[in-house]
Amino acid sequence: MIRNFIFSGSGGQGVLSVGIALANIYMLDDKFVSYCSSYGAEMRGGAVSCEVNVSDEELLCIQNDKADYVVAFNQKSLDKFISKVKENGTIIVNSSLAKIEKTRKDIKYIFAPLTSDAMKLGNIKFANSIALGILMKLCSNLSIDMVNCAFEKLLKNKKDLIQKNIDAFLFGYNYAI
Amino acid sequence: MNQKELLKGNIAIAKAAVKCGCSCYFGYPITPQSEIGEYLSAAMQERELGYVCAESEIGAINMAIGASSTGAKVLVSSSSCAISLMQEALSYAASDELPIVLVNVMRAGPGQGYIYPSQGDYNQTTVGGGNGDYKIISLAPSNVQECIEMTYKCFYLSQKYRNPVILLLDGLLGQMAESVELAENTYPEIDNSSWVLSGAHNRPSREIHSLEPNQDKLNRHILDLNNKYKKIEEEVTDWEEYMCEDAEYIITAFGSLSRHGKAVCKYFREKGLKFGLFRPKTLYPFPYKRLNELSKNLKGIIDIEMNLGQMLKDIRLAVLSNTKISFVGKPVGDWLKRDELIYAIENVIKEDYASIH
Repeated sequence: MIRNFIFSGSGGQGVLSVGIALANIYMLDDKFVSYCSSYGAEMRGGAVSCEVNVSDEELLCIQNDKADYVVAFNQKSLDKFISKVKENGTIIVNSSLAKIEKTRKDIKYIFAPLTSDAMKLGNIKFANSIALGILMKLCSNLSIDMVNCAFEKLLKNKKDLIQKNIDAFLFGYNYAI
Repeated sequence: MNQKELLKGNIAIAKAAVKCGCSCYFGYPITPQSEIGEYLSAAMQERELGYVCAESEIGAINMAIGASSTGAKVLVSSSSCAISLMQEALSYAASDELPIVLVNVMRAGPGQGYIYPSQGDYNQTTVGGGNGDYKIISLAPSNVQECIEMTYKCFYLSQKYRNPVILLLDGLLGQMAESVELAENTYPEIDNSSWVLSGAHNRPSREIHSLEPNQDKLNRHILDLNNKYKKIEEEVTDWEEYMCEDAEYIITAFGSLSRHGKAVCKYFREKGLKFGLFRPKTLYPFPYKRLNELSKNLKGIIDIEMNLGQMLKDIRLAVLSNTKISFVGKPVGDWLKRDELIYAIENVIKEDYASIH
């Protein structure tokens, strides 16, 4: 099994954090993972993206043309990365900040108001954890225990946020899609 | 639960350096390697070891010369255009026979270029820009796990042969995180008590300098260095062969791009074409002899690089026969993807490829 993911959005939306979280979850599942972010001139509000690759064996392709799953956190990243979704792949679009419009017929769209849902849950920053929940539901062979484990590891200095992020994750996981 | 960690190449190198006893770090921040200095700024101070964020790269490498003379295990890290600034000091350190580990996380050049990843410093590393007959050992990892193992090896080789060693990786590998295990360093400690400037109490005084006005002595010194390089070439040369046993075509690549090369081999093998990959792990000394042996029964060699063909020159020197050598590369930016490489290589081997369809 090889799976490729791309997360894209603007600086401050937790694009890189969600990539790292996903990579950690798969690492706990004993997979080979690589995580690769755009680097350099990132700043709050600037365009940012990262690529996560997961495999049962040694990862050879560390940069890929296309991904099985793309998450676009705003309109700009939807426009930029829509062509990167593999045929029959899936794109998760943050419909709070992007148009609900299907420009390709060969892929699956999931529109989710990540930003407004995150605000309902109490903090705009949970949008990425909701997206991660949706994504995990789609590739649902992972146990929730691993997700808990990954959050505990990544947020060990911000313990009060662990449960809240898990709640946001579960909110996404239980989305009707 | 396993012992794996998700580490960036840069952080992995910094952690490995601490683990194998690095006692001094000198550097000046530059993308894409700044995480090495950032991590060590805390880690070295916690352990009450040497950490200096120097005023410039020239300062950093010359501080390394000083510290290394006293027997410290020294690490310096920087990137391409700043490594250019260090060439004079590297020539001095090679002449002084000082063990210094220098990490170069390549960005794009020439000149200042930009922070995008590239493999454009092959020539700078293997040929060097300093004066005189000197050589710098250089190792090129292809994944983060190897960054760790090769950091250990760099420290060991630099101490064993009393020579600067460069760990050469591209910006992509420095910035990329992978699941790795921070294994133990198993290389033995090298006794340096016979040459370090540790204070001349109860022993004759020592000097370390490259100035030698006596022509005969200078001649002998350079020949001695050259004998050491010959020994290094015999003992240190290292490479990886992937599906090379029965290969009719061999892809040559170094660093992280070699992984895409392996993916290409797998693709062509499935199509019935016998492809293999040859990757030098040490760029100096380059595995000329082995590549020469492998090249004898080949239909062709395809060299792939993220530059415009710097290692190609060494491939030609190794092969020196009528075997066809082709090149696929680009200078900077996103790595050549598997499918781009397949397309380019199909064109190179057009006739053979057509015959299997």
